[in-house]
Amino acid sequence: MQDKNLYTIRAVPFTDVRSIRRHTPAFGWQYIIVVLSSGLAFPPLYFYNGGVREFLATVKQHVVLLRSAEHANVFPVNDFQNPLQRTLSSLELPRAVSLSIVPSMPVSGGESASQENGERTDVDVLDGSPSIRQFYRRERQKVHDPARDISMQVLEKFSLVTKFAREATSQLFWETPTNAFSHFERGSSNLSAIDSSQKPRDDVLELPVPPDPLELDKLSLAWGKPRQPPLGLEEWATFLDSEGRVVDSKALRKRIFYGGVEHKLRKEVWEILLGYQSYESTYAEKEYQRSNKKTEYEIIKNQWQSISPEQEKRFTKFRERKDLIEKDVVRTDRSISFYGGDGNANLSFLHNVLLTYSFYNFDLGYCQGMSDLLSPILFVMEDESESFWCFVALMERLGPNFNRDQNGMHSQLFALSKLVELLDAPLHNYFKQKDCLNYFICFRWILLQFKRELEYDQTMRLWEVLWTHHLSEHLHLYVCIALLKRYRGKIIGEQMEFDTLLKFINELSGHIDIDVTLRDAEALCLCAGENGSACIPPGTPPSLPREDGFLFNSELDDTVL
Amino acid sequence: MAHRVDHEYDYLFKIVLIGDSGVGKSNILSRFTRNEFCLESKSTIGVEFATRTVQVEGKTVKAQIWDTAGQERYRAITSAYYRGAVGALLVYDITKRQTFDNVQRWLRELRDHADSNIVLMMAGNKSDLNHLRSVSEEDGHAVAEKEGLSFLETSALEATNIEKAFQTILNEIYHIVSKKALAAQEAAASASIPGQGTTINVGDESGNTKTACCST
Repeated sequence: MQDKNLYTIRAVPFTDVRSIRRHTPAFGWQYIIVVLSSGLAFPPLYFYNGGVREFLATVKQHVVLLRSAEHANVFPVNDFQNPLQRTLSSLELPRAVSLSIVPSMPVSGGESASQENGERTDVDVLDGSPSIRQFYRRERQKVHDPARDISMQVLEKFSLVTKFAREATSQLFWETPTNAFSHFERGSSNLSAIDSSQKPRDDVLELPVPPDPLELDKLSLAWGKPRQPPLGLEEWATFLDSEGRVVDSKALRKRIFYGGVEHKLRKEVWEILLGYQSYESTYAEKEYQRSNKKTEYEIIKNQWQSISPEQEKRFTKFRERKDLIEKDVVRTDRSISFYGGDGNANLSFLHNVLLTYSFYNFDLGYCQGMSDLLSPILFVMEDESESFWCFVALMERLGPNFNRDQNGMHSQLFALSKLVELLDAPLHNYFKQKDCLNYFICFRWILLQFKRELEYDQTMRLWEVLWTHHLSEHLHLYVCIALLKRYRGKIIGEQMEFDTLLKFINELSGHIDIDVTLRDAEALCLCAGENGSACIPPGTPPSLPREDGFLFNSELDDTVL
Repeated sequence: MAHRVDHEYDYLFKIVLIGDSGVGKSNILSRFTRNEFCLESKSTIGVEFATRTVQVEGKTVKAQIWDTAGQERYRAITSAYYRGAVGALLVYDITKRQTFDNVQRWLRELRDHADSNIVLMMAGNKSDLNHLRSVSEEDGHAVAEKEGLSFLETSALEATNIEKAFQTILNEIYHIVSKKALAAQEAAASASIPGQGTTINVGDESGNTKTACCST
């Protein structure tokens, strides 16, 4: 009960379950613990009004459940050879319609039953869930399914089990077959323009999609809080004391996490979020910092501005950098009026800041992608020096992504792989089978923090949310997972290979609803809890680099590349 | 049939576009696959690809063209995409001497990461900017000859020689592949069990055929 984040409705196929342990304490509620074959155990599932025996009896109808010889209260789930046959025969249905829909998935989510219960956190699920129930009803009407009706009868026996368990179990019984189709619908309606048929796919719709162990729509209903309107001027003032200090930085960050900030406030707020100005600074101190930093900026800028043409002729490295920056500046966000048109002064500002940065951090220099990261900052700051220092602060965190050895990117792609494994094992297995575990498909997402995937204002909204570091420093990884899960039905259903997958992911650009995605990401992050944090190696960007310079060892290196 | 099904092709050839940043790789790709050109197109981050189906000697060939980030910094990532490529178009910018001088580095890169039998072509792009030229066409030809590459000067902006460049690569790949297919056919024929209507070629020449790397 230490961490409420652990509690979540999560479907697990019985193939993954090693045993169920029953606990009947003399005082207090009965509970069970589901132990996975991986050795992982779920937190206790409490039965407030009895019903453990009924629960086990029902489970027994679907898998072979025998009492352990050693422990009377341990029930190992058998490692059977032909689960489909077993399941079908044990169900004793006239014709197991729902199972025949998913022929190659013997132990589909249809029989999985592993739920956890939270004492407080289940309130949303239990009582605030008319939409969930409506959803079930709708789904049910759509496909009349004898197997489900029988499941319902079985469930009636559960009347003693907590309402929560019943809800969760019914979800497990019902969701599987329609799940795949709802994903298809969603995918095709959103992305009708995308050509994803690279290989012969006559039988596309026949392919079964393993059920999502954490289905987003329901997950977000239970976990994701509704997004709020952006923080406005009046509300912002309530966060400040009379001299301009932020009183409660945590509350501020949380507020911004759920709604972002209005554009006119961005300059002030971004400087703080990025760490260029501190939460504790007064108006006067901020002004002092601004003027000091301006002088400092001019000094660094002067280092390259004072290079004479004669000197430049003998300074290849400088010429190359300048060249590269010039090439990229003229193709950075030119469709936005702020950077559009010939002779736009803002392009020179971009150029100056980038070249100055390449002197400030000579080891890193300039890398493609940096102009994308700087562009919204300059757009917001409208000042060279301020933009420069905000960019410096951002690069403190994202710099390792641009290292020659790409270690920052590798550690994030590695963490992403681990997180998908944790949050969607079937999808992980699919990527594994398709040799996509390097997650190169998400390279651009991570390197540019979704800048190329979103509209300009949506990018700014996402960034300020990410920069709050509320819940996690690595929310962007959960954003990746939210997107992958959103389209998992399409990805697996169409059996996308690496190339088609890459194309599909690249072409999601412009089709992402950031509010929905953020809510999904939040839910996933909460769900993953400490297990999620454990997937992310220390020092992984955007965490500040570790003092000892250690990022990840050679073992990880091998896994990723 | 209402829709022409996308997978109706005889061959799928993967071709990579390589060369320094800003030489015009992405625009060569968009010109060839969508007949588009954008002066302010964004830099390529990571890898993108597009496809176009063309006819080569009566066969339908689907060209899958991979566009990679040009900056050296991303070599570790982009070189992974050379796998399976049967053709490469090495692009430089005729107005930027440095991009031409770097051709040698790109060739080394290919030798290290791509199949040794990859079909290679060099393109001197931006031929529309003749007034800014810093690499003569003769220099281009000389390097191409020395390295044994096909060569063309192209302009994605004016759509000059883009079609021709890809047709040349695809033709060459096709010849290698069809030769290989023929050899494989002969080998298969000679290996199959007699009595099923196949003629066994006793004087099988497939062993002498130069086997190409290309695989579809």
